Amino acid sequence: MSHEQRLGATASVRGSGERQLGAFVRSVIARVSVLPFIIYAVFAMLLGLPLLLVLVQAVMPGLFDANAPDMALSLGPLEKAFGSSRVGNAVVNSLELAITTALTATLLGGAFALLARRCNIPARRFISAVPWLVFLTPSYLKALAWVLLISPGGYLAQWGILSTQFIHTFFALPGLVFVQTLNLFPLATFVIGAALAGLGSEYEDAARMAGVRPLRIWLHINGPLLMPAIALSLITIFAEVLSDFGMASTIARVSNFGVLTYGIYAAASDYPVDFPMAGVLALILLLLVVGVVMVDRLLRRRVDPRLISGRSKNGRIYDLGLWRWPAAIAALTISVLALFLPVAAIAARAFSRTLGAGLTFGNFTAANVLTALSFGTDTDGALLRSLAYAGIAAVITCGGALILAAELDRSRGILRPLVLGLSLGAVAIPGIVLGFGYILMWNRLPGFQNWPFPHYGDASLMVTGYIAAALPYCLVIIMGAIGQLSPSLGEAAKLHGVGATRRLLRITLPLVLLSVVTAFLFTFIRTMFELPISQMLVPVNGPPVPPMVTHLFSHDQDGLGSALSLLSMLVAGSGAGFIWLFAKRFVTRRGVASAVMPTAASSGISSS
Amino acid sequence: MTASLRCSGISKSLGGRPVLDNLSLSVNAGEVVSLLGASGSGKTTLLRIISGLTDPDRGQITLDGRTVWSPNAAVPSEQRGIGMVFQDYALWPHMSVEKNLGFGLESQRLSQRDVAERLNHALEVTRLAAYRGRYPVELSGGQQQRVAIARCLAARPALMLFDEPLSNLDAALREDMRVEMMDLVRSEGITVVYVTHDQAEAMAVSDRIAVMRAGVIAQFDTPQAIYQKPANAFVAGFIGGFSLVRGTVHQGMFKLAGVETEPLQATGARSGVGDLVIRPEDARPATSHPATRLQGTVVSQAFQGRCWRLVIELGKQRVRLDWPDAVPTGTTLGFSIPPDRCVILTE
Repeated sequence: MSHEQRLGATASVRGSGERQLGAFVRSVIARVSVLPFIIYAVFAMLLGLPLLLVLVQAVMPGLFDANAPDMALSLGPLEKAFGSSRVGNAVVNSLELAITTALTATLLGGAFALLARRCNIPARRFISAVPWLVFLTPSYLKALAWVLLISPGGYLAQWGILSTQFIHTFFALPGLVFVQTLNLFPLATFVIGAALAGLGSEYEDAARMAGVRPLRIWLHINGPLLMPAIALSLITIFAEVLSDFGMASTIARVSNFGVLTYGIYAAASDYPVDFPMAGVLALILLLLVVGVVMVDRLLRRRVDPRLISGRSKNGRIYDLGLWRWPAAIAALTISVLALFLPVAAIAARAFSRTLGAGLTFGNFTAANVLTALSFGTDTDGALLRSLAYAGIAAVITCGGALILAAELDRSRGILRPLVLGLSLGAVAIPGIVLGFGYILMWNRLPGFQNWPFPHYGDASLMVTGYIAAALPYCLVIIMGAIGQLSPSLGEAAKLHGVGATRRLLRITLPLVLLSVVTAFLFTFIRTMFELPISQMLVPVNGPPVPPMVTHLFSHDQDGLGSALSLLSMLVAGSGAGFIWLFAKRFVTRRGVASAVMPTAASSGISSS
Repeated sequence: MTASLRCSGISKSLGGRPVLDNLSLSVNAGEVVSLLGASGSGKTTLLRIISGLTDPDRGQITLDGRTVWSPNAAVPSEQRGIGMVFQDYALWPHMSVEKNLGFGLESQRLSQRDVAERLNHALEVTRLAAYRGRYPVELSGGQQQRVAIARCLAARPALMLFDEPLSNLDAALREDMRVEMMDLVRSEGITVVYVTHDQAEAMAVSDRIAVMRAGVIAQFDTPQAIYQKPANAFVAGFIGGFSLVRGTVHQGMFKLAGVETEPLQATGARSGVGDLVIRPEDARPATSHPATRLQGTVVSQAFQGRCWRLVIELGKQRVRLDWPDAVPTGTTLGFSIPPDRCVILTE
């Protein structure tokens, strides 16, 4: 091809006067990018407007009145809420639970991270995998499992190892803290573990050369350097407990321990429906969550990120000597309590006729599992629907996040940090608040009420909610991966005449494939077991797995509920595992691992 | 295939800070021009503007007389027919050497035969035929660089841009690769713009060098001319480790500032404050050129193989000299400079 041919576009530009004017107009239009508007519109529709409606509810109680809607401002709902002892208790209970769990889970997670990352304990690889498995097991399921284990007729009580006093104490704040700690300690392990991985041995080596003993090194060198991660862990777990609906709607409800999230659900769902009260509770919850996120931002701004760099040497591995055995036993005990015991309880219940008859051979039955598997039953329908919803949500979310992240990576200026900020902010929105916002927007707001797609009462709206909840996470994961690619890889393709779509599919996607698969699986599993949005937006054609399970448990069908839970974990887990292994094999075979520039940015993803 | 390049009146600001200021540059077809400058001088920005990866604020860029960028028209970088060897090579890590070369060609919708022919030629001239099935991670630094060049050559660009292509290689490999790379480029007759901050590298590869400072070209000339007659104190200071000695010119004589020595003959130099440029290799015994004689105290000496590098203190100023013998520190040493090598840059 001659040079003249290649410059065809130039030749056209240098044509007649009109053509020059046309080119000028085109170039002006090209420079006024529509991308920011699309992004703002997506965020506004999926997150901003529903959230706004929830908050407006608190001061305009008549706005969505079914009979006579009006826009009068009123502090009535706020006064009513602050005068109500039930609301006061919910706030105090939520705060008490969140603060205590933040401390206990950070302590446990930090210790776990230290053992798994820095000590030569036996079965280290296995122990390192446990927090991921715990993290991916839904919180409502773990809570239900503990009910099966600890309740007066439960498995542990049947063995006579629990006193009535213990059971009574368990179904109150101490038990909830215990269950939430085992549920959320993986977050602390991820955050503190990432900081430990980035904390090279050089600072410690320098202190050792200066004659400082290990304990003093930890108190004066490593401890202060890990402080931002510890603070972040405390804040993240605090916000997670406040936003949690899984425990709130199961074990906390059984314990008569009212918290804010369940209060919102009850106000918006139970007869008589009290939307303004739900709005006030959501406002209080959001203020608390936003408050801690702001504290987190302030703390992180003060941290000097250069202290922990990607150039650090590997951290020192401590030889615990004979102490490594008790340490490993302690870690394995935590693993059993956090993962294996709850899963075993669910499995045991799935294969037994009644809870009261205990773990006897005569109580064994496959009927629950067979019912859950039988084609055409409600439970089987829920499982198939959930798989389909989770698959659709994961494909749309990851596809959208990939395109958006690639576009944002090319954009200059404020857009990229703005979207990252919006995404990180959106991560903090509790699912129950989002679900409530969707009800207000798509069931009550004129213009959206009769919108054909997504439509209130359809699965389409629930899947939209899933996408809205997962999009910020996926964006953060994929943007992190794309941000680590050297910009010259795309530029080189561009200079070779490769168009934008081909660059995305042939250069960017293969290089960030593992992150896209991670985001896909994360969304898939999260959606499969998502409770608050599913509960709020149950479609008329039948519920997905999470509301179905909680419904079965609350209607004395815990055997069937356990079977359905077990099956969904098996199907989703094995599917996800298969996809992950396949993707990893593909990536390793193609030698893509070397594509990513060595930076410490990956730690930012897990800490989000 | 090769093209001339003309940049005129190019200005660019980044974050409100001017990076290029009304810069103009012409490169003839088949010529190798280096953009030489320190970090922040604007050389990489200019290279990216030429490639189309960054747009300037003002100015015009033409390739073979055809506008590729002006305020009214912009040819996208993928249509400019420009090749670039990136500092980090930018080899696509998930593609084999062959695929790296062929990927861009496929996008140009060339026939299979043309692709194969170009690919084979590029692999042959870069001696990479044996590595065509390997992935970048399986190649050494030098081989990776050859793949980056081969990828460019296969695209048959009108203009090739090199963005500090040797900076990732170790010193021993750097010189070998430089020779090999430039032999290849010259044998293909391609126009080249080469960005570097290494003066020796620029001298070795270029037909002409544009010395850049703060977004403008301080001097644009052949390597020899820049070495012999640096345009100003900045160029002299940046090129070749010259020493600059401050003084004043009066009636054809140069008098050093701050030290009582005999004035030097400075025929043709304008009167006023100026800098005497002393190249280390120009030092001669004091008796060789009595009219351009200087005297100072040796403050350090270092053996450099074929000579000794001395640092001489002339009052408060210091100069570097190459000297045949070791001279103990503290010794007073007289030396002279050939009169025709005495360059005085007056303000």
